[in-house]
This record gives sequence, C-alpha cells and structure tokens, in this order.
Amino acid sequence: MLAALLLALTAILVSGCGKPRPVDTVNGVTTIEFWNGFTGPDGKTMEKIVRQFNAEHKDIRVRMQIIPWNTYYDKVTLSLAFGGAPDVFILHASRLPEYADAEAILRLDDKVAALGNKVNDWTPRAWAAAHWKGRQYAIPLDCHPIGMYYNTDLFKKAGIVDANGNAKPPTTLAEFLADGKKLTKDTDGDGRIDQWGYIYTWLRTNAHTFLAQYDASWLSKDTRHAAIDSPEASQAFGLMTDLINKYKICPKPEGQDAWNGFRIGKVAMVLEGIYMLSSLEEQKGLNFAGAPCPVFGKRAAVWGDSHMMVMPKKLSAARQKAAWEFMNYLSDHSLEWSKGGQVPVRKSILATPEFRELPVQYQFSKELPYVVYLPQSTATNQVMPFCEAAVEAILNDLMPEKEAVAEANRRIDNVLKRQ
Amino acid sequence: MKIWNRNKYAALFLLPYTVLFLTFVVSPIIYGFVISLHKWYILAPHPTYVGIANYAAVLKDDLFRIAFMRTAFFVIMVVPAGNALSLLLAVGLNQDYKGTTFYKVAYYLPVLTSVSVVAILWRWLYSTEFGLLNYYLTKIGFALHTMAPAIFSGNWTVNWLSSTKTAMPSIALLSVWWGAGGNMLIYLAGLKNVPKELLEAAEIDGCTPFQRFWAVTWPLLKPTTLFCLVMSVIGSFQVFGQTYILTGGGPYYSTLTVILYMFQQGFSQYQMGYASAVGYVLFAAVLVFTILQFKMLSVKK
Repeated sequence: MLAALLLALTAILVSGCGKPRPVDTVNGVTTIEFWNGFTGPDGKTMEKIVRQFNAEHKDIRVRMQIIPWNTYYDKVTLSLAFGGAPDVFILHASRLPEYADAEAILRLDDKVAALGNKVNDWTPRAWAAAHWKGRQYAIPLDCHPIGMYYNTDLFKKAGIVDANGNAKPPTTLAEFLADGKKLTKDTDGDGRIDQWGYIYTWLRTNAHTFLAQYDASWLSKDTRHAAIDSPEASQAFGLMTDLINKYKICPKPEGQDAWNGFRIGKVAMVLEGIYMLSSLEEQKGLNFAGAPCPVFGKRAAVWGDSHMMVMPKKLSAARQKAAWEFMNYLSDHSLEWSKGGQVPVRKSILATPEFRELPVQYQFSKELPYVVYLPQSTATNQVMPFCEAAVEAILNDLMPEKEAVAEANRRIDNVLKRQ
Repeated sequence: MKIWNRNKYAALFLLPYTVLFLTFVVSPIIYGFVISLHKWYILAPHPTYVGIANYAAVLKDDLFRIAFMRTAFFVIMVVPAGNALSLLLAVGLNQDYKGTTFYKVAYYLPVLTSVSVVAILWRWLYSTEFGLLNYYLTKIGFALHTMAPAIFSGNWTVNWLSSTKTAMPSIALLSVWWGAGGNMLIYLAGLKNVPKELLEAAEIDGCTPFQRFWAVTWPLLKPTTLFCLVMSVIGSFQVFGQTYILTGGGPYYSTLTVILYMFQQGFSQYQMGYASAVGYVLFAAVLVFTILQFKMLSVKK
C-alpha cells in the first residue's frame, strides 16, 4: 500500500510539473511573452512602448515581465534549459556568445536577409556584436557606452570654461590632468582632500576603457588566452595608478560610495554609463553635463554594451512571426527608448533633430564609431570577475601589478581551458 | 508483519513527512552527488560523466583553497565568540529579576530577522563615508585628538568592508550579533535543567558564584555546549548571505566563502557539476570537524 501511495504521489508531482502546451493563436491573436531586466525608469519607458505596440497590433499581444538583472540570467538560463522560456527576451551583447554557442537562441540570418537595405541603418559595431561565429542571433536595441559626466558648477568655480563662460570638459589627457588638478581640493581646510577631480566608479567599465585606448584587452584577439599581462595593458594600468599616486587627482576605488560622491558634488568627473542618467536627473541641486570620454591613450575608445533582442531556439512559426514583428517595432521606436537613458543604434534615428536635442544621449552617441565591446567569448562573464579583482588589487596597492596580472591570467586561462 | 500491524498508524502519520523529506531533502542530496560526477554546463543538452575529475579539480583549485581558508577564519572568529556571548547572555538572563522577558525578546529578535535585512542594516552601519560607526568613531577620535594631540591621531575612521584586513572580521562581528540570540535560548534551556539542589549544596559548601558555575553548571551543561558548538560550526561553515549581499566576496577575495564560491560556480558560471563537487568537499570537511568535536567533547556515560 505504501508503495502504491508513493507511486500515486510521484505521478501527481510529475504530471503537475509539465506546463500545458501553449496555444499559438486564440481568436486570431498571438500572445507572446517578453522578458527583460528594466527595473528602473527604463522599465516605465518600455512599458509605454509595449502598450503602444499592443494598441497598434490587433493580432499580437505582448506580455512583458520585468525581472531584476541580478537574478535575470539565472531565470532565463533555467527557462531555456528546462522549459518556460519567453518568446522574446533581452541579452546583453557580452552574454550573447554563451547562449548562441549552446544553440539556445534562434539564428536570425534568414529573417535579417528579408529586411533588405534596412540592415544598413544599424551602426556597424552594435550590428557586429549581434553575431557569433559569423551567424546573426540578435537585433541590437541600443548601445550603452560609458562617457564623461562632469559637474558644471565645480568646473565654473575652478574657471574651466570656454569663451561663452560654459563649463568646458577635457578632451585630451593633458587637459584631463590639468582640469583634474584644479578640481581636486581641500575645501574646508582640515588637511584632508574632500573634493576630487575624478573617481573610479565601476572598475570593469573604467579599466576596459583605459585598456582599449592603449590597444590592450583582457583576452587575446582569438579570445583563447588571457592577455592582461601585455605591455600595452601595463601602460594602461600605469596611467590608472598614476592618476591616484602621481597626479593625485583621484582617490583609491571606494566601491559604492564613489558614485554617490559624484551625485552629491564631491567629485567633478566620472566615467559612467548612459544608463546612469536618470540617477543624476533625480539628484536635486546637481548641475551636470555629458561629454565623450577624453582620449587618454593612443586612440579614442570606450567601453560599451548593447541590449540585444533574441528569441529562443524552440519557437513555433506563428510565434516567431509575432516576435520578429515586435523586435523590429522596438528598434524602429528606439528614439522613445533612448529618452530613458540609452543611445539608439539606428542611423536614421541618430540623425533626427529630436534625438539631437537629448543633451547627454547626443554627446555619448558621438562615441558609437569607436565603442569597444568586451571580448566576444563564451567565457567573458566567467573571467571578468578575475579581471576586476586584478584591477582592484593594482589600484589599491594590495600587490605589485606583475603579481596581480599573473594571478588573474592564470585563473582566466584555467576557465578558458575548460570551454 | 507483526511490527507493521502494531505500527501501521504511526507509519501512516509519518508518511506525509517522510514523502516530503525524501523528495526535498534526500533526493536532492543524492542527485547533487550524481551531478558532481558530471561535467554539466547548464545549457548543454546532456551532462557528460567525468568520474572524480571535478573533485580533483576542486582540490587543485587555489580559489577553493582561499575560500576554504577564509571560511575557516570566519568560523574561528564566530564560533567561540558567538558561543561565549550566548552563554554569557543566558547566564545573565537565568537570574531572578524583572524584565528578563524583554531582554530575551530583544536578543532573540535579530535571529528572526532575515539575512538580507540584517545585511542591509549593517551595510549602512559600516559605510566608510556615511556610516553610523564611522560617524561616532570620527567624533571620538576628534575629541581625543583635541585633548591630547600627541597621543591620538584624529583619523579614527575604519574601512570596515573595503579593506582586505577588516572585511572578514566585520562580517564576523555582524554574524555574532545576528546569531547570539539563537544559542542563548538553548543555553538558557540547558541552565534551567541544572538541578537547583546541586547548586544549593555547593553554596552551602561555601563555593563562590564563579566556583559554582565552573564546578557544577559547566560540567552539567556539556551536552548543551556540544550541541551549540556543533550546530554553530556547521552553520558558520555555510556562511553565505552576509558576504553575498555585503561584499560579494571582495575586496580581493578576502570574504570569499565556500558556499559563495559554490554559488558563483553554479549560478553565474553555470558549472553545475563543479559546484556540486565544491558542495560535497565542504560536506566532507564539516563532517570531519563534527566527528572531532563529538570525540573531544562528548560526555562519557
């Protein structure tokens, strides 16, 4: 009897797990699920676009689910592996190779080919990041590079202004250092510096920018080996530590406090993502502006990532059609999307007067031709913590640079070996 | 069959729990071990059997070793200090005076609070620039500095969570505060079981309160102490929430704990087999420590 009971229970449990097979189309309406991690003001913007899409399309209904980024990828991955995946979802460009390589997301080559000339409207770097091993897996929705935010009040107080009396952001290393010097002060005379010219906020994006400007990267060009011990990388790390120890215009990394430092007017310049714009707009009494990142090294380059729109591999034809329609709609309406703190990647939208009136977005969009994505590898997400730990150790003087990069290199290579 | 007939009603009542226990505790334990023998990237269609390769890799992995040493450091800080504090509180609350219930509730409240709430509260206390602790330390430092500038430097701020030296002790401090109330209750129950007549006899024999504690209460409390120590060693080896929320394992791996490392392997790198192997190695280590504790502390009948 016991066995029978157990068996019955198991049967109930097992049958309960299987989801009912979703019906594609009910009364001529195809309902599709759309997942993303836009928990901030960007989510409100996205909701508005989705509502508008639903109003304009009688035969498609999009249901959006917002999941916080820190658990987002776990949910997406588990749903792709064990069922319950959405029909359209967002991946960061830096995570795309993992899902493309595992064939968990759908190849879009045929669909893209049918777009004809429209494909030339996307900016080349974002478009390239939608590919993996020569195949296209996504449509880029946007690009979010970091750029320079600067406190215009502090600039004016330090006399760093142009002919019209407006705050003038630095564009070269020399200007950056000179401005930084003028902006680093002990304002209350207690012998402790309490206003900094510059501060490191997110080490990943800041260090990636410095590396890219010196033609260095975390991984070798073929992404099969760690490369942060290269002489070029050493130059970049050298400049990063010099800002702290030699030029003294920047404190040691302060983690979460760093960004607050800029928000409350204790720091004059930061390199942060366009997506932080709304966090600054909320700050009362802060007058700021945006500018392209200065050129510190050999060439202009800056960290950037993109929200990529993808579909799961297993998707019925009807749902594919609806999802494709929706993805294109989002891209076509990315002007609206950019207002929440993003840069669109459609040339036709970038050229509109309406976009050029968005002050910070327009300034950051100038970086699109030289934005540098993280290395395209299935291991990028796994190795970045080692990279960041090395930068953290170097900037905090926890160990000599040589040791830190050697240790990180070894750990990165270990991960790459098991790919 | 006879046993079955006699106990069938008991079995029936035990059935729901047994089923749930088998489904949600025993089978994941077994399944976890099976996974640990496979290389399984979660998006790959099928796990591949690799034998003990994951275990060999774990033992060679220097980050696992770092995580293990950091966790052991945490255990060494938290278990003795936490148990001493719990016992002290319990002895204090075992006296006859008014208001003990209030204090019991006050000390036990943190135990009932979820780790995320505790961690967010302490993040604010520990914040270098805006934290409450540094606010008072700065005031004290400044006051002492103005009184005796030669002896005291003015800067008393501590980089609680942002320095590799202080991060783990800071995590330990909050963990002691968080967990003290739980063991306190168990010690309190143990103290109530100490026969009053023995204590009175000792008092008549002229023992001081301290001698009474040392010669009567402490030996009789040994089973309770063993239980509390074993449970807190097991619990402390599994420290996760505090470091996950407050430091993410940093700065520079100084608060990387074994469970956090397992979590990172499993849920940001999706190496399920490897993560399971990490879990099982920790299980083996904790088992050894537990057996040692029983051997050293158990009461001879």
